[in-house]
Amino acid sequence: MSSTRAAPPRRPPAPQRGSAGDRRMTWRDRLYRFDMRYMPYLMIAPFFLLFIVFGLFPLLFNAVVSLRNYRLDDPTLPYWAGMENFSRLSADEDFWNALYNTFGIFLLSTVPQLLLALLVASLLNRKLRAQTWWRVGVLLPYVTPIVASTMVFSVFFSRDFGMANWALGLLGIGGADDPIDWRAGKLQAWIAIATMVNWKWIGYNALLYLAAMQSIPRDVYEAAAIDGAGPWKQLWRITVPMIQPVVVFTVILSTIGGLQLFTEPMLFDPNAQAATGGPDGEWQTIAQLIYKVGWKDLNLGYAAAMSWALFLIILVVAGLNYLLTNRLSGGRR
Amino acid sequence: MRRSWTHLARVTAAGAVALVMVAACSGRSTTGGSDAGGGQVTLKINFWGDFGLQDLKARYEAEHPNVKIQLNSGEYNAQHEDLQKKLVAGNGAPDIAAIDEGFMVQFRSQSDKFVNLLDKGAGSYESKYLPWKWKQSLSADGKTQIGLGTDVGGLAMCYRTDLFKAAGLPTERDQVSALWPTWDKFIEVGQQYTTTTKKKFIDAGTNLFNPILGQQPVGFYDEQDQLRMEQGPKVAFDYTVKAVGAGLSANLVSFQADWDKGFTSGAFAVLACPAWMLGHIKDTAPGTQGKWDIAAVPGGGGNWGGSFLTLPKQGKNVDEAYKLLTWLVAPEQQIEIFKKVGNLPSQPALYADPAIADFKNPFFNDAPVGQIFPKMAQGLTPQYLGRKNGPTRVAVENVIRRVENKSLKSDAAWSEAVKEAEKAAKS
Repeated sequence: MSSTRAAPPRRPPAPQRGSAGDRRMTWRDRLYRFDMRYMPYLMIAPFFLLFIVFGLFPLLFNAVVSLRNYRLDDPTLPYWAGMENFSRLSADEDFWNALYNTFGIFLLSTVPQLLLALLVASLLNRKLRAQTWWRVGVLLPYVTPIVASTMVFSVFFSRDFGMANWALGLLGIGGADDPIDWRAGKLQAWIAIATMVNWKWIGYNALLYLAAMQSIPRDVYEAAAIDGAGPWKQLWRITVPMIQPVVVFTVILSTIGGLQLFTEPMLFDPNAQAATGGPDGEWQTIAQLIYKVGWKDLNLGYAAAMSWALFLIILVVAGLNYLLTNRLSGGRR
Repeated sequence: MRRSWTHLARVTAAGAVALVMVAACSGRSTTGGSDAGGGQVTLKINFWGDFGLQDLKARYEAEHPNVKIQLNSGEYNAQHEDLQKKLVAGNGAPDIAAIDEGFMVQFRSQSDKFVNLLDKGAGSYESKYLPWKWKQSLSADGKTQIGLGTDVGGLAMCYRTDLFKAAGLPTERDQVSALWPTWDKFIEVGQQYTTTTKKKFIDAGTNLFNPILGQQPVGFYDEQDQLRMEQGPKVAFDYTVKAVGAGLSANLVSFQADWDKGFTSGAFAVLACPAWMLGHIKDTAPGTQGKWDIAAVPGGGGNWGGSFLTLPKQGKNVDEAYKLLTWLVAPEQQIEIFKKVGNLPSQPALYADPAIADFKNPFFNDAPVGQIFPKMAQGLTPQYLGRKNGPTRVAVENVIRRVENKSLKSDAAWSEAVKEAEKAAKS
């Protein structure tokens, strides 16, 4: 018994497939199989091809360059630098200054930006006259080209003739006799730049929040109102937890944007091409420093090391923010 | 059978899409290849400010019907950085690229990326040029000449006669020159001006620092490329801080909108004027015609700026570009540019030409610019500009700006300047 079972019955020999009756079907058959098996891959291939060419390859190439001596003005240096660029980074006071500035501006912009966006969204979520008009209106700053708005702001914050100082003068601060020099110190420069960032992104985030808020069922609010929750409590106890995925999304998005801040600090400087972010680097951000090291000092290897450091910092901060917002809005994800 | 046809069509379409995507990613532009033939040739020239090329372009095109010239004027730093990027990328550089002396050392050390003009027979120009000008664009081993000089800076002081008159100062140019034989006297005159008019005398501390530094025998770097802060830079820095401390400076940033506005609004009364600055003043403040005049600079001759025209190797029409280049530096054209925008040629033989020697600039109250600037350029000790000259200058200028905006005390300024310069030297 066992011996007969051990030898499995042989399959019919292959030549059957090659018989005349089957050959007629082959072309169509193959096409069909191709369609089922490979077509999906082919359809999504463009994305991956583009990602490899424009995403993965630059990232990896950047990593290679960061380990190299790549000075445009000195081709005589040895090819590989090893970890030299990274160890230099840890002792570079310009880098730490830029990091400090970046986080300062980041906090001054992201926190008020998202809070105000939340308030604007909850206002827009009520019954309003000319609702669409308001909704399109808050998006206008986002549509304005960033260079154009920054140049306007840079005049707005000018020392002698700026509107910011004029307005503050009306409130009794500074004024024409003792104008605030917006470019002479860290704090005022940070505030000025954070204002530009906030102005641009509040409306955009508000619309994202608004879209999420629309999907919250009305009866939840009605029930809360019956239980005696005021509008403030409703916002924090109902709205925010229920739009939590969008909150996390905006936090991560503005983290990335905030840490890569470039155009605003660049154009805020009257001597923009120098990319020093003020005479003493008062508002030089990391992205700006990378540009300066790469194209002003012509040290592409070191600039690549900085880019990688920035990439890792963004990953860490975005991760932290994700955990934090997740906690704050009470989600368990 | 119909089904299989639709299948086939789908597969083909998808494949085609994927192919197009790949091709789009790797595609190289093939336009411009037709230029290489004997027919139409387009030559691109990149420069900044005003090189006085507008009229010359039309004339050259009329004389050479197969040549089209494309002028591309941009911001000073941006043009140099753009050229550097194109050289690295290996594609996209113009046929003729202007380079300023401040950037020359950087590009000279990449001489393999430029056409060696000596191969094209430019050796015959050596005897015509100011020797230091010829050497500035020659590679360190002396075998590759990457550019031919256009203008040299020279130095003088432009001043507003109307504002001087209002302040009770003399307005006649020899008398004004006699007011300030030294920089100390210059600062005294400035103080006199500010106390009587309550207005600022100079445009910016940095525009005092740069000309004074240009007069020193050694600039930021010696010929071994070692930073030498304690000599020339210290002299220039001390005068600058003194003038800023005396409240002479309008605290403007050069080549920015506010600075340009200052020319028309009379925000300052004097401005250090290399020859090329004349064109800038004329272009930005055409309404001030006749109000300006030109006096001697305190402290003797010096140089600030001056440019070269180079041929990047990437150019598709190197021969045509070289023809245009030699035409542009020929005496006739150089004299025309001088008359038009004030840029002083770097070929001393031309200074004796009556077209230059007798030329008076009507915009500047008929000042004899053909006498003032050549004298400066010839009596010049050329200064070596190190490889890191550009970043070092920016670093020290930033310290001066901090003194001006009062975020840095003037007694702490020098040690800060040394520290920043050392950092820039190592960058």
